[in-house]
Amino acid sequence: MFTPQTKLPSAATKAAQRRSRKPFKWQDLLSYALLTIAAILVLLPLLWMFSTSLRPLGDSFKLPPQWLPTQWRFENYLRPFESNVPFELFFWNSLKIAALTTLGQLISCSMAGYAFARLRFPGRDFLFIVLLASLMVPGQVTIIPIYLLMADLQLVNTHASLILPGLISVFGVFLMRQFFKQMPQELFDAARVDGAGHIRSFAQIALPLVGPGLATLGIIAFNATWNGYFAALIFLTSWEQMTLPQGIALLTGYMSSGNPSIVMAAVTMAILPVLAVFIFAQRWIIEALTRSGLKG
Amino acid sequence: MPKIDWMPSFTPKTTEALAGYLFILPTFIGFAIFILYPLVESLRISFLEFSILGDSRYIELDNYAKLLTDTRLHRTYSNTIIFTMFAVFLNAGIGLLLAVFLNRRMPALMRNFYRSVFFFPILIAHTYIAVIWRYLYQQDTGIINYYLGTVGIDPAPWLSHPQWAMAAIIIMDVWKNTGFAMLVFLAGLQSIPQTYYEAAQLDGANERQLFFRITIPLLSPTIFFILVIFMIGALQVFDSIIVLTDGGPGDATRSVVMYIYQQAFQRLDFGYAAAVSWTLFLVIMAVTLVQFLVSRRWVHYE
Repeated sequence: MFTPQTKLPSAATKAAQRRSRKPFKWQDLLSYALLTIAAILVLLPLLWMFSTSLRPLGDSFKLPPQWLPTQWRFENYLRPFESNVPFELFFWNSLKIAALTTLGQLISCSMAGYAFARLRFPGRDFLFIVLLASLMVPGQVTIIPIYLLMADLQLVNTHASLILPGLISVFGVFLMRQFFKQMPQELFDAARVDGAGHIRSFAQIALPLVGPGLATLGIIAFNATWNGYFAALIFLTSWEQMTLPQGIALLTGYMSSGNPSIVMAAVTMAILPVLAVFIFAQRWIIEALTRSGLKG
Repeated sequence: MPKIDWMPSFTPKTTEALAGYLFILPTFIGFAIFILYPLVESLRISFLEFSILGDSRYIELDNYAKLLTDTRLHRTYSNTIIFTMFAVFLNAGIGLLLAVFLNRRMPALMRNFYRSVFFFPILIAHTYIAVIWRYLYQQDTGIINYYLGTVGIDPAPWLSHPQWAMAAIIIMDVWKNTGFAMLVFLAGLQSIPQTYYEAAQLDGANERQLFFRITIPLLSPTIFFILVIFMIGALQVFDSIIVLTDGGPGDATRSVVMYIYQQAFQRLDFGYAAAVSWTLFLVIMAVTLVQFLVSRRWVHYE
């Protein structure tokens, strides 16, 4: 339904394309060379991370670095769990916070996005502009009152202090509105005629068709929360409550005194979910990021 | 199918409005508690000499007066501006270069491969990236100095010397974020109709003319958009610096947000921290407004 119209190239344009296919030029070689160098520069730190994570602990600091470890120490991946910080708890905490936040945003943003896209009510456009304007407010301005509020509610150093503010997202409302706007009006007119109320139109007609939108928002929300550091640093103070980025910063230790192989095994595990999502949903993420202009 | 006839006494128009308010209610409850209230409250706090014990008192503009004389604040602002200028122009410049190369004739498989590689770092947390790069930047054990050494360059004090530490942060930021600029530029380039180039070529334009007379003007909204988005992001830099250098050596790489964090949550001077956060808010608002005004006037939207 939402696939863009594809135009079949006519015989004439095909012929034109064939004519325009020029012989190989030195500029092509240059651009491949530069792109390849850039790609290598991007990949090297990640390769270093991965190969270090597999090195014997004694070889972590050895120079030149062993890009291919002499012995593959997969047991390094168990070390963070045996360290003096509760690594498995960090993992679980991050997963819990990210999952609940994402779920909340999927619900609140799809509801509001639907209302702003498909329902008419007094003040709608004004309220939408107010929401959009609030995107300008940097989180550092609101964090102090939110902290004091959480302190009043005795919620500091609980996961609720991170989850509650994360249950809504202005960006998410904007994104979902775009998706709902693309749907044909006839769909909803037909539902009306069949006697469906607004709640049914939303839940049984609009929602099932907005899968790509929900997937996009879900991925962005999960990734943002999974990677979040600023709020966690402020709200979570005891080891039992901390999230994965905090935990890995702890594992690294003062002045990077932690063993690189163990730390890199931990970082690799923390990046793994992101990598998995990236491989499966790259097209969606790229499309949404390009359209919305949100930085990760 | 049973017709759900809730609130039968309302006209369809009223029902629709009620449904609309119902649907936006969760978002607006959250908006009121976690955006609107804190925004107003932080302005109020910025006029307080704040005390955790509850005996805060209004001190008029004292916090704002302190902004003018606080040399540490001035240092963090100049650090942030230097970081922002370099990060914005390097990210946008390199991103544009990569996008232009990627937009050349090339098998789709290759283009997708390069695009994926450049894009991937965007998804990784700043924290993890800084943890990795901290090891890479180590003066004696890091591989950056090792490989520089193999081509005869002396080991650099990446994290312990003020200017080198700033350079280290900027390089790492470009590594992480330039892929985003590349992605948006590539989308912009691909939306320029091929016929423009063909027409210009018929008139005898060379590649350089095509680039400066067609590509750049038509890409100007995208370029401007990227500059603003990156500027707003860079002004709020925090995660990567706190892990990589913790603001050091001294205050050489401390950003405004790190300073707010320190004043508020380590020194518990919430009043002053709130005042500083409002200065940052005003700067970001100014950047956004300029973007809004300029993008309405200038620009070759189709």
